[in-house]
Amino acid sequence: MDKKLIKSSACEIAKAIKNRETTSSEVYSFFQKRITKLNPSLNIFIDIYKNSSSLGGLSALAGVPIGIKDNISIKGKKITCASSILASHKAVYDATVIEKIKSSGLSLMGTTNMDEFAFGSSTENSCYGPAKNPWDKTRVVGGSSGGSAAAVAARLVPFALGSDTGGSIRQPASFCGVVGLKPTYGRVSRYGLVAFGSSLDQIGPITTNIEDCAHLLNVISGFDSSDSTSAKLEPGDFTESLGKDIANLKIGIPKEYFDQGLDPEVKKKLDQAIDFFKKKKVKFKEISLPHTQYAVPTYYIISSSEASSNLQRFDGIRYGKRVEADNLLKTYQKSRHQGLGNEAKRRIFLGTYSLSSGYYDAYYLKALKVRKLIKNDFDQAFQELDAIITPTSPSPAFKIGQKTEDPLSMYLSDIYTISSNLAGVPAISLPCGFTKNNLPLGMQLITKEFDEATLMKLGSAFQQGTDFHKKIPELGNV
Amino acid sequence: MFDTVIGLEVHVQLNTKSKIFCSCSTQFESPPNTNICPVCCGYPGVLPVFNQEALRLGLRVGIALNCKINSSIYFERKNYFYPDLPKDYQISQYKSPLGYQGSLKIDAGKKIGIERIHLEEDAGKLIHKGNYSLVDFNRTGIPLLEIVSLPQLTSPKEAFDYLQSLKLILQYIGVSSCDMEKGYLRCDANISLKKKDANIFGTKVELKNMNSFKGVKAALEYEIKRQTKQLKDKKIIIQETRLWDSDKLKTIAMRSKEEAHDYRYFPEPDLPDFAVPAELIKQERESLEELPKARVERFIKQYQLSKEESSLLVENKQLADFFEKVLDFFNEPKKVYKLLFGPFLEQVKLLESGFSGIKISAKDFAKVVKYFNQKKINNRGVKKILAIAVPEKKDIDKIIKAEGLIQLSDQKGLEEIAEKILENNPKAIKEYKQGKTKAIQFLLGQVMKETRGRANPQLVRKIFERRLKE
Amino acid sequence: MIDQKVVEYIAKLAKVEINEQEKDFLSSQLSKIISYIDKLKEVDTKKVKPMRGLYTGKELMRKDQVKISSAREDILKNAPDFLDDYFKIPKVIK
Repeated sequence: MDKKLIKSSACEIAKAIKNRETTSSEVYSFFQKRITKLNPSLNIFIDIYKNSSSLGGLSALAGVPIGIKDNISIKGKKITCASSILASHKAVYDATVIEKIKSSGLSLMGTTNMDEFAFGSSTENSCYGPAKNPWDKTRVVGGSSGGSAAAVAARLVPFALGSDTGGSIRQPASFCGVVGLKPTYGRVSRYGLVAFGSSLDQIGPITTNIEDCAHLLNVISGFDSSDSTSAKLEPGDFTESLGKDIANLKIGIPKEYFDQGLDPEVKKKLDQAIDFFKKKKVKFKEISLPHTQYAVPTYYIISSSEASSNLQRFDGIRYGKRVEADNLLKTYQKSRHQGLGNEAKRRIFLGTYSLSSGYYDAYYLKALKVRKLIKNDFDQAFQELDAIITPTSPSPAFKIGQKTEDPLSMYLSDIYTISSNLAGVPAISLPCGFTKNNLPLGMQLITKEFDEATLMKLGSAFQQGTDFHKKIPELGNV
Repeated sequence: MFDTVIGLEVHVQLNTKSKIFCSCSTQFESPPNTNICPVCCGYPGVLPVFNQEALRLGLRVGIALNCKINSSIYFERKNYFYPDLPKDYQISQYKSPLGYQGSLKIDAGKKIGIERIHLEEDAGKLIHKGNYSLVDFNRTGIPLLEIVSLPQLTSPKEAFDYLQSLKLILQYIGVSSCDMEKGYLRCDANISLKKKDANIFGTKVELKNMNSFKGVKAALEYEIKRQTKQLKDKKIIIQETRLWDSDKLKTIAMRSKEEAHDYRYFPEPDLPDFAVPAELIKQERESLEELPKARVERFIKQYQLSKEESSLLVENKQLADFFEKVLDFFNEPKKVYKLLFGPFLEQVKLLESGFSGIKISAKDFAKVVKYFNQKKINNRGVKKILAIAVPEKKDIDKIIKAEGLIQLSDQKGLEEIAEKILENNPKAIKEYKQGKTKAIQFLLGQVMKETRGRANPQLVRKIFERRLKE
Repeated sequence: MIDQKVVEYIAKLAKVEINEQEKDFLSSQLSKIISYIDKLKEVDTKKVKPMRGLYTGKELMRKDQVKISSAREDILKNAPDFLDDYFKIPKVIK
């Protein structure tokens, strides 16, 4: 059974439980043992739960364990955001997605490592140290949902939740060889997700395959009266799109994403994926998204501005770390100085600067305008296209420490994922091959708002014809 | 020599049941930190959801103050660190206030411009102890409406009138009780002096910490004296915030905050734009109760009351409402007014909870006025009935019966009693005949004593006058 | 260019203590990032309306109903310091 569990998808595990081939507690303790064994060398989990808080609900996924990024609120559990300012903080309420997960009968396995407050692309900015890539432990897992992606890749859990503000689900999914979806802004409730860039953040599934992705999206999506930015839509069933014909769908290839800086190995795999789809009678067209080059600067202004304000609440007054000092001002300053890491400070300073008097128009307001132009690019493209295909990241997973000294080069590793957050559209990263060094690579598919169904169609067609997603990193006998 | 220029910033708590962005209660004087939840305590991951009642109440104020209403509004974040502000930003409005360009008529008939009204969340309460402070978040997130006047007030008296008129309107349209002691209404002032008829404004000083309308007036008066002296002495006025000290009766410069005010306003990304539907504006406009000034005019015309009488009534909305209800049962405005402002208010004053504590219905009070008018009961009887029926629900007729309050107006019976009193008081008769007409008062008193206050005094007086002239 | 003075000013607004070394470090890194961001200046945005948020659907509002939160006890327990159901904080000096 154990060997089978590693190779099974979440859906298959759920089926086995339903058919009484195994039980949810057997499954739980299997993954628990695996985590206990492998986590010390991988540093993927922050908190490993002793028992599942499953309520035994009835859903297609009942009984399957799930990993949760450590920035999603689970009542009574620690929520650290990998920051020492919250290192001993306990959540007092359940995020909406956690309520949904509990009532669907999934088992909570624990919380996963991440970049502090989701600031980063490598999970190196964690107060718990970097998580290590299961495919090559000297390399990063990507970020900021690196722990969740690596946990799924290493089969420490069948699937996990991440959050994506500028690529934080998709980029680590591509670095770890798993499926990562950033849903349309408003598709999944943000209530209980510790805010980074409030107008950009979305929670999404990280899974080994597209079928699990569709099922998990079914569980977590839907209108929430606690989130004023959540979309009032009828709940849909994303699994209905799995296996549907993709012939005659029209996909755009934006030339700006295949230009300079793209690793030749990545380009080759993308070309192969495009050929695959062509054989399925998908039509391709080269397009231009002219404002692509402005996405990174626009993103860093908007996300940092929102973050600088969102993180003000970490002040040592009501919860979290307080460094005692003889007056209030010093308490604020010392608590935040000691409690926040370097990248968090950089973002806070950048955001505070771009909102401050005298700079607001030149930076923040300017960025809101360019954001509109970027969105217009997508709106226009989707008038004649069903999807857009791009690499997820310009390169495979880089070495731990390689980019930590140069924040700008780190920021640029999100160059392909950021635009869809700015435009609010859904995007998925799917495994599309391996480098010569056996490092996984990902391709990204983007559709118009609320058209995750097309992503499911394309993803399932691709995975029916390929087996990149079935490869599991060699981690020795466990 | 100098003209005074005053602008007022009023914050009023809107009387919703729940807070503006979460479902916690707005109950006053709850034990510390009871009306709190993750949202109003700024917990990681929480999101605001806008209370539609706050919009409705704010809109009523906008309409009552003749504001232009923005058809779509959005909130912004005002960023600053303070321990009573859990998120370390306040959700407020900046570039798209609910209303703008309004006006308010003050007593002298002058119109004061309203620059803007906007919605925001209230902060918590800080209690400063020696070397530490305590924070209570019960108040955090109660909806506030900020009402900013144009700098068009020219004297402390005008400022006072403005506040009175504003308070009356806010009470009348049912958006707030405006109790300043409870902090439901707060007022800051800006004041500057300029050379008579000059076009250039002087340096503005901000005044805070006034706890009553009288305090606002006193602080402004003090500040005019202070600034005038400064200017006469050729000293400059510093742009600063000064706190009113109601014990020492002076304003004191607040130690300037180390950092500059840089609130870094930006649109609140957690909340969408909110339409203010034309239908809602129409509905609120129609349902808006009559504003006080119009009511005074109507009382004068409809009930033939004097301006003073009308104003006295309208100033107390509950009393004016009661007055009109009584008229439904007994339509003699002057007579109702007389008993209302006399024996009725005397009883109300004795109640701990004031007017809200009265138990007598308008119908019953109308009955009392009617009986008095029919001479069925006399003044004393009215007082006695109200002493019983105002604080406690009681049947008026039963009180009259039980207390024997029916006025004796039976000529024959009263004459018999009068005869008896005369017989027993020859001294008084003698005095009267010697010209001391006051003696009749004494005799009257004796009759009242004999009848336990029930005798119709006018009738008895007439009997004595007739008998003594014989 | 974000010089040390600007960094000090931002630190004051953001209530983060910084030492000399951090001042240096942040000033040079932020300057580099900002000069990259200045690329935005080349975009013509004269006729573009700023995009405040992504939400385009119907606005959500709450009915005015009171719900008592069950989290009160846990919220108090999380306070770094408290006294008689109040959050206790170091003295406020303005």
